[in-house]
Amino acid sequence: MLPENITSVVSRNETWTGAAASEPHEAGWAREAIIFVRALKEPKGKQPVARVEISPDGMRWVAEGTQAAMPIEQDGIAVMRVHHFGNWLRVAADFADGCESTVLVTIHLKA
Amino acid sequence: MTASQTQIEMTEAVRLALLRADPELSRFDPLSRIISHDQFANGHCGWSQLVGNYENDLDTMLPGYAQHTGAMLSTLAHWDSGSHGAMGSSYALKIATRPKKGAQNVAIKRHTFRHRGRIRFELYFTFKPEASELKLSETDVRSIGFLFDLQAGDNDKAGERVMPHLRFLNALDGKHLQKWQFKRHTSPFQAVGNGEKTLSHYHLAPEGWEDLPSGEQRLCYNEIATKVNWTYLRFDFDLKEMKALEFQCNDRQFDMSGYESIRIPAMKNLWCMLNFCLFAETDADKRAFLYVDSVCISGDF
Repeated sequence: MLPENITSVVSRNETWTGAAASEPHEAGWAREAIIFVRALKEPKGKQPVARVEISPDGMRWVAEGTQAAMPIEQDGIAVMRVHHFGNWLRVAADFADGCESTVLVTIHLKA
Repeated sequence: MTASQTQIEMTEAVRLALLRADPELSRFDPLSRIISHDQFANGHCGWSQLVGNYENDLDTMLPGYAQHTGAMLSTLAHWDSGSHGAMGSSYALKIATRPKKGAQNVAIKRHTFRHRGRIRFELYFTFKPEASELKLSETDVRSIGFLFDLQAGDNDKAGERVMPHLRFLNALDGKHLQKWQFKRHTSPFQAVGNGEKTLSHYHLAPEGWEDLPSGEQRLCYNEIATKVNWTYLRFDFDLKEMKALEFQCNDRQFDMSGYESIRIPAMKNLWCMLNFCLFAETDADKRAFLYVDSVCISGDF
């Protein structure tokens, strides 16, 4: 059997403001992940750096170390590659007051 | 007894012997053809995110659908006890809501049918809230359930789109209700976008659920939020008459004589549609999880 791989849309047309994050994604079966964050609309204000976060339990989160600047224009895409993440993954970003981005976040997982 | 009857009985005896000797299928009672048998150590098996309809702009998607996310492959890992695992492997399908009271999520498997007869939908499932509190939390999951989305063939006369729904209403506004419900009416269709080709309706809206007669059932929730037990479910439906036939959950079989499906006029692009959905809904500002160990869909043809 071919190894499992999946594309999962974890945030679709969500407007991120303040302390924003994608929903927890359980992916302990996967050995590698690529996460794309696309700006579906023109971002507003200064754009933060997005970071990959991992978790011991899907509820408490710590930065994994991988990060990428949020896209600064519509259809811009940020990319984060992760190879060693345990069971849970999410993407988080902290937006200053008045700043936002409407995002499509996809996680591409491969066993 | 005629020779043909003997032959039929022998064929059935051999079929049952093979099924019951197979540890992966023996826990099911499939009809003569297995359409799909999903074990989630093999991957997602086609259970994908139910995305809403849209046209030109994603903002046209109805909010009920916009909240949906993709199902995951889970080992039911818990903060206090580690991975629980599924029945036959480490992995189950996990359908998770967002952490907002009333939030829902739906996974869908999309087929078409080749024969209008009896089909059988069997699964082993469990549900739990996210274990974010050191409490029993037995009323934090509002409901879990399933639905089919069916439509007659393009040559069938007076064909309809038929959507049988069943949910286990575990709790509502903190009250532990524990009963099966069905739905015979959907929300009105709305045009999405500025064209005329795309319509949408949110058939899982909170309104319109009715109690299944004698449909109260207490399931095995267990004693803390991180202990789970697997539950068997079987639903038989006749695609010819578009009528529910039987419904079983664990040791209980329910009277389906008062059951009705949502029935709406046939739509122009859905002929012979045979879709299966599984859903979860939370009753607290906490994620609700529906886990599925395995699914067996079979037909009598």
